[in-house]
Amino acid sequence: MASTKDPFVRPKPMFGTYDHRKLRVKDQHLADALAGRAFLRFDGAMGTQLQERGMQAGELPELLCLTNPDEIAQIHAAYVQAGAEVVTTNTFGANRAKLATAGDDAPTVDQVFQAAIACAKAAHPRYVAADIGPTGSLLQPMGTLPFETAYDLFAEQAIAATRAGADLFVIETMADLAEIKAAVLACKENSDLPIFCTMTFGEDGRTFLGTTPEVAAVTLSALGADVLGINCSLGPADVAPLVERMLPWSRVPVMAQANAGLPSVVDGVTVYDIKAPEFVDAVQGMVDAGVSVVGGCCGTAPDYIAGEKDMLARKAGPAPRKVRDDFVVASSQQLCVLRPGDVGVIGERINPTGKKKMKEALRSGSYDYIMGLAIEQTRAGAQVLDVNAGLPEVDETQVLLKIMADLQGVTSLPLQVDSAVPQTIEAAVRSYPGKPIINSTNGKQETLDAVVPIAAHYGCALVGLTIDEAGIPTTARGRLDIARKIVQRTDEWGIPRQDVIIDCLAMAASTDQRAPRAILDGIRLVKRELPGVRTVLGVSNISFGLPFRPLVNATFLAAAFSAGLDLAIINPAQQRMMDVVNSWRVLSGEDQSAQRYVADYVNRSDKAPAAAAPVNGAAASGAAAAPGPASGQQAESSDPVERTKQLVLAGRKGPIPDLVQTIVADHGVMFCINDVLIPALDEVGRRFEKGTFFLPQLMASAEAAKAGFNRLKELNGDAADVPSKGKVAICTVKGDIHDIGKNIVKMLLENYGYDVVDLGRDVEPQVVVDAVVRDHIKLVGLSALMTATVPAMSDTIQLLHEQAPWAKVMVGGAVLNPEYAQMVGADFYAKDANESARIAGEVLG
Amino acid sequence: MAQLQSYDIRSIDEAEVLRYMGYSGQKYSPELEGRIRQTMQECLDVSQPRGLVQVFEVAGRGTSADGRPEVRLEGTALTLVGDSMREHMDGAVAVGVLAVTLGMANERMLKRLSLTDHIRQVIFDAASTTLVERAADAAEASIVRQAADRGLFTNFRFSPGYGDMPMQTQPVLLQTLDAQRRLGITLTPTLLMTPTKSVTAVVGMFHERQPSTHGSCKGCPCFDFCTIRPTGRTCRG
Repeated sequence: MASTKDPFVRPKPMFGTYDHRKLRVKDQHLADALAGRAFLRFDGAMGTQLQERGMQAGELPELLCLTNPDEIAQIHAAYVQAGAEVVTTNTFGANRAKLATAGDDAPTVDQVFQAAIACAKAAHPRYVAADIGPTGSLLQPMGTLPFETAYDLFAEQAIAATRAGADLFVIETMADLAEIKAAVLACKENSDLPIFCTMTFGEDGRTFLGTTPEVAAVTLSALGADVLGINCSLGPADVAPLVERMLPWSRVPVMAQANAGLPSVVDGVTVYDIKAPEFVDAVQGMVDAGVSVVGGCCGTAPDYIAGEKDMLARKAGPAPRKVRDDFVVASSQQLCVLRPGDVGVIGERINPTGKKKMKEALRSGSYDYIMGLAIEQTRAGAQVLDVNAGLPEVDETQVLLKIMADLQGVTSLPLQVDSAVPQTIEAAVRSYPGKPIINSTNGKQETLDAVVPIAAHYGCALVGLTIDEAGIPTTARGRLDIARKIVQRTDEWGIPRQDVIIDCLAMAASTDQRAPRAILDGIRLVKRELPGVRTVLGVSNISFGLPFRPLVNATFLAAAFSAGLDLAIINPAQQRMMDVVNSWRVLSGEDQSAQRYVADYVNRSDKAPAAAAPVNGAAASGAAAAPGPASGQQAESSDPVERTKQLVLAGRKGPIPDLVQTIVADHGVMFCINDVLIPALDEVGRRFEKGTFFLPQLMASAEAAKAGFNRLKELNGDAADVPSKGKVAICTVKGDIHDIGKNIVKMLLENYGYDVVDLGRDVEPQVVVDAVVRDHIKLVGLSALMTATVPAMSDTIQLLHEQAPWAKVMVGGAVLNPEYAQMVGADFYAKDANESARIAGEVLG
Repeated sequence: MAQLQSYDIRSIDEAEVLRYMGYSGQKYSPELEGRIRQTMQECLDVSQPRGLVQVFEVAGRGTSADGRPEVRLEGTALTLVGDSMREHMDGAVAVGVLAVTLGMANERMLKRLSLTDHIRQVIFDAASTTLVERAADAAEASIVRQAADRGLFTNFRFSPGYGDMPMQTQPVLLQTLDAQRRLGITLTPTLLMTPTKSVTAVVGMFHERQPSTHGSCKGCPCFDFCTIRPTGRTCRG
């Protein structure tokens, strides 16, 4: 390949082709270092060394590899002389996106790596580490950079570095777990060189994106990093406690490259406050705790590295350390840890099986309901959330990815990817920032072949169902046999035992009363015969066909815990189930001194048992036990119709659902819509237009009306009696990330009875058109806040006119005015949300 | 190297928050008032206002390759391009460059509210805008102080994207301050910053008093962060 300016061709998707990883390790010393048997010494700072030599702020330092190679080589040589075994190439920002900012004559990634590695080799180091820093853009879902685009940028670097003769990778100064994951995968899938990777943390012990050292260690060592650790961040004294938090969770050697303390500017020169002796002292503390790869970051210089060399020379070898073998999974924000004997709760509710509302949400692409389920389960005590988007009529992969991205915005719990389709599982776990659980594989040969390599490659925990080609065995022994087959395969792939979770599969007691005992014995056998493996169970099948199922479920759950069950897949919003979990934690000793139990249950009694509420879905909420507030409220208002209107105007939603119920009982649904809610909303609109209401009032009224509409939908059940007034697609256009105006419009339109297809922010024109064509949508709302994104709006409208000529387009947003709107080809200009509702009325009726 | 600053801001101006939401004297319920105040407090709780500031000497003025006026700075690849900058920096001897942000926790809350509660999103957004402008005031105050220490006067902060100051200034400006590594500010391909509640700007330093210099300290946005006044002087000389 002569020039990487040619469009970079990404390697073929890896699915199904994973092999056991074979590393190319340069020599025995490096092999020892990777095994944690020998120390390895990196170099110190490049950037601050260049600044001392007069590099301008804001320049791309990587270009100096081409323009001033001797100077770069001199810096490397000084470190080699000081005792560094590994020198790090001057390629921190050498990715296609950043190099492009240097203009049209910018060098290619290949050229920079060739030059940089030549500079490094000129210093004759023992090893050359190809440096890979962040892309400079924030990945989705918080940012706009797609995971696979970041992967492409890194893959191009990995290939260039390998080709140019690097000995290993060092991925460093990462703050985003998704981004470092993309980088590690890019190296792992495009090179056979060892991968060292480090993240940077703040004083609060988190990266800028909120990742903790423990989360980083768990995720990266599962993913296949060969060495992991911390760089940059802070001075060594502050890095020490953070890196020590990584040590118990890292299955691979741990490295530290701290800054030389804090910088300050003295007489125009930047100086760091920690000098070499103090620096080396602090590094020695880390080494004694178990760190075995050292070096330095900003502000360090050759004398720091020389000091480290002397210090290490006095040590026999890396300090022994103990890695925890607890069950652990992670989101980007937090761990879920179960020590042996602890029990955990996986929330089961994000699953369409047998759930009408959930199916509706998946089909419509409106995920508010699902986000609500996530928040509710998080509050109720779930530690992991199962996510299943399997519905024949939706694109499971796309929907699952979107839901998982949104879920990261509302919960910090780790997720369990629940799908029967290996390709869907792979797509979901690949970009997930953290260590998820895969649900599931089973004893079928085909499934084992497909799913186990995915779990190994991406470093996931894996549920294995005790079912195979012959079905679910009736006996405990039969279940054990399948479990053994699964574990044999996971052992082969190097998946640690504690990451394997066997599900002995609950069967209905009503059809076979020997089943419950077989399941419980199965759990016992698996735990005994396959040491280290964990177990999981979705318990509710056990009660199928019986009356008062929650009682049977709860009893069975307690029995299963006693048999050694580790993880229960339940609805944590059912108080009865959480009662079993919480009380079991006292009996097992997990809840030490029963502290949590006492705190939560001191005022509970059996006076209003959960059983009092029949299984109507809206089962007991533990805290608020005051019965029947509805009747009292009705008495205090004279006329429910008037009162509802007043409440909508006041923006108070609380009493509205019950009032709506009364109105429907007396006058019917259509009256409630056309003579109560809509007129109230119209009055709200008039007041907003006149300026007697301002924006939050308009929105509070819309929210109050929505509470009424929601009750109407519930009352109606299946009957599509609440007529939709038509569909409106809305989004913020490509390139723009401001979604606030779009969300206000969505809220208002929904409350006027329109179905809103919310396509999100930063949306490609073709995605808009596809949605509009698919549902033959007649009205599209586009929002843009920045001048720079108005062309994207224009492109979207043009594409709509070509491919969906029936669709009318309204536009809004801070940069627009009626003239602009006309210029970009819009049919309507909506100066505010209220106006958008009026336009919808005009177009859709 | 730019100076890293952390700003201790303990209140948000409610009138300003209301103004961002289009308020013009309407009567509203105590419930809504409570919601606004609670959300403003949440904004203060989760935000971590921080900034970077560095002063560069003006190296010269000229015309860019594409014929636009430019102001060149010493020791940085950052140049200030366009007519707005020519006017704003007319006579400037040095330029203070600043970047401030409320951090990723603020951004995460905005994201969460965009998925769960649009009313609170609007309020939180307005509160955050108010707060990040306060952080920019604080950063500007430190530039004013550095100017005063040299006997110079400042004008006001001017951000890329305003006038004809190109958005393309952003990558070099942020790189100059090392703002991704030190503040966590990243750019989208369309050069918008994330965290979205971030501000970048430049402030000119002059030998002469500027028309924009406040006549008195009352009403100066930098008042709360001023370190000149306690020394018995003012930035007016």
